[in-house]
Amino acid sequence: MSLANTALIAHTQKLDLVIRHVLAGLGHGVHAGRERGAGVEFSEYRAYVPGDEWRRVDWKLAARADRYFVREAERDSHVAVWLVLDASASMAEPSRSVDGLDKLGYARMLLGCVAAIAQRQGDAFGLVVVGDGKVAFTPALRGPRQLQRVLSQLERAEPKGSLPDAGTLKASLHFAQSPSAIYAASDLLDWPSPLSIALTRLRQMRHDVRVLGLQTRAEIDASFSSELAYRDPEREEGVFRFGSDLREGYRRNREDHFGAVSAECRKNDMPLTLAAIEQAPVEVLRRWLRRPGR
Amino acid sequence: MNSLWWFALPILLLPIWWHRRKRVQNKAAPMATARFLPRAEPRQTRAWRWSDPLLLLVRCLLLAVLVAWLADPVYPWRGDTLVVLDGADAAWVEREAGQAGLAKAERVTLAPAQALHWVRTHEREWRLEARVMVLGDVPMPASTPLFGRRLEVRTQPRVSGKIERHVYIASERAPQWRRMFAAVDGPEKIVIDETPGAATSLIVWDRPDAPPASLRAGLWWVTNPAAFPELAKARTLDGLRYADSARGRLWHHAAWPPQDVGAARALLDNWQQLHVGPRPFTMQSQVFPASSSVSAPEPSGALRGILLAILVALFVLERSLAHARRR
Repeated sequence: MSLANTALIAHTQKLDLVIRHVLAGLGHGVHAGRERGAGVEFSEYRAYVPGDEWRRVDWKLAARADRYFVREAERDSHVAVWLVLDASASMAEPSRSVDGLDKLGYARMLLGCVAAIAQRQGDAFGLVVVGDGKVAFTPALRGPRQLQRVLSQLERAEPKGSLPDAGTLKASLHFAQSPSAIYAASDLLDWPSPLSIALTRLRQMRHDVRVLGLQTRAEIDASFSSELAYRDPEREEGVFRFGSDLREGYRRNREDHFGAVSAECRKNDMPLTLAAIEQAPVEVLRRWLRRPGR
Repeated sequence: MNSLWWFALPILLLPIWWHRRKRVQNKAAPMATARFLPRAEPRQTRAWRWSDPLLLLVRCLLLAVLVAWLADPVYPWRGDTLVVLDGADAAWVEREAGQAGLAKAERVTLAPAQALHWVRTHEREWRLEARVMVLGDVPMPASTPLFGRRLEVRTQPRVSGKIERHVYIASERAPQWRRMFAAVDGPEKIVIDETPGAATSLIVWDRPDAPPASLRAGLWWVTNPAAFPELAKARTLDGLRYADSARGRLWHHAAWPPQDVGAARALLDNWQQLHVGPRPFTMQSQVFPASSSVSAPEPSGALRGILLAILVALFVLERSLAHARRR
């Protein structure tokens, strides 16, 4: 997908449209071969809700009761997908080359894609939004309604404040009891942080933790305008200046930081994907979802 | 001199200076990776931005009105004006005004003695293109008047009845005195009274005996100083001795009645100048051009009342706004 397409996505208000677009570009490469067994072991009927697949409607029961019922099956796998969104103020960092594109919007879109994939596969999925010192929690469920719920929660997330402290985050970790896949999107600028501690802890609890570190092209190239004064959105202290004399130092500091982050992730066996938000979402999504070692 | 106060207008710079917000910090854009940069000194720029622009405006106005009140400005509001003197012939005034094209001009009626002085003191009240004309019996001033603007004066001598001056002559040589008074010409007419009355202004006492104590007049011409004890200590000027008494002012000269024409003329002239007063003399019609050398007359303070009211209102407003700002 070209950069123009990225900008188009940045300007589209409807998250589900963007997701459909991205997933159409994704093809079938990421889909797990696991077909949803619609009746491996029947457990119960439930009333039809709009969005349910028609093939899961029990037609005989419909003929008898004049209402639609869906057969719920006991699932073999209890894998839940958890989406973790870092919504701290630093995630508002905009792309300096593409108007309207920022890290939070990009993370929101990729997490929405993961949610849509999980919904297609019949997995339960939930959402954790951390930001402004709080943890917003959407419990893991299956189904198309859950997708709408998660997408609306994603759209509602605002980049604000800083990460919640370690105690708050630790108290919220009870969500992952069954084995789950955890997709965390952050800018990883705070590391170690309460979020990194929580993710490490989840990894130690044998969950599959995949971390996406979002960057901008200007950060990678150290190509900020030297005319502006800058401030840190999460630390209200001081003013920073950027200039050609500071470029090398900036690059070195940044590489040291992300080197440490990568080493930490490798040590804890958490696959880390670093991506620029100007990159095509399909590529980033494919790299993020790829099973390590393949 | 009041207009020198306009030089105090730079005082307006004071509130402007006070209200200027001197330093404005550069707006800083958020940058998530700012932590990888060294801390920089916040750059501040000087900018012309105002705090409380309303209060600044009121303060500037207050100072400007104060300076204007001190400078006492004159607002030129008068248009074409016809200054008509009291007693001028109405038909003549209409004719002259029509000739000059000022028939519809504003008319001001003044006493003859005040006219030129009034025009002089009010000359800044006329608009630049306005024409001013004085009509009537303008008395001749002692010196040539100078005006800052062009002024046309058209005069018509007033025809007035003869003024009578009553004289009583108590003398053995009355014909000599009468002959002298008969030589007086001009607008006054000398009336020789048979008996002294209230109207008698001059008594010629050419007798050796003293006059009755009840007899009074403004001036006495006395030939026998012995009858008047006040003349004993009288001062002398060119042979004329003069003194004040209860009866009136006394003049005495040893050579009276005057024997020649020169002495008689001198005596009559002295009488005219010192007791009767100068004869009115009507100025000739003429145009005074605008003189650049003449300094502007002192302002009359016509606008001071309005300016003072505005000043008080602005002061109240300024105090209220300053109080509201502190709250």
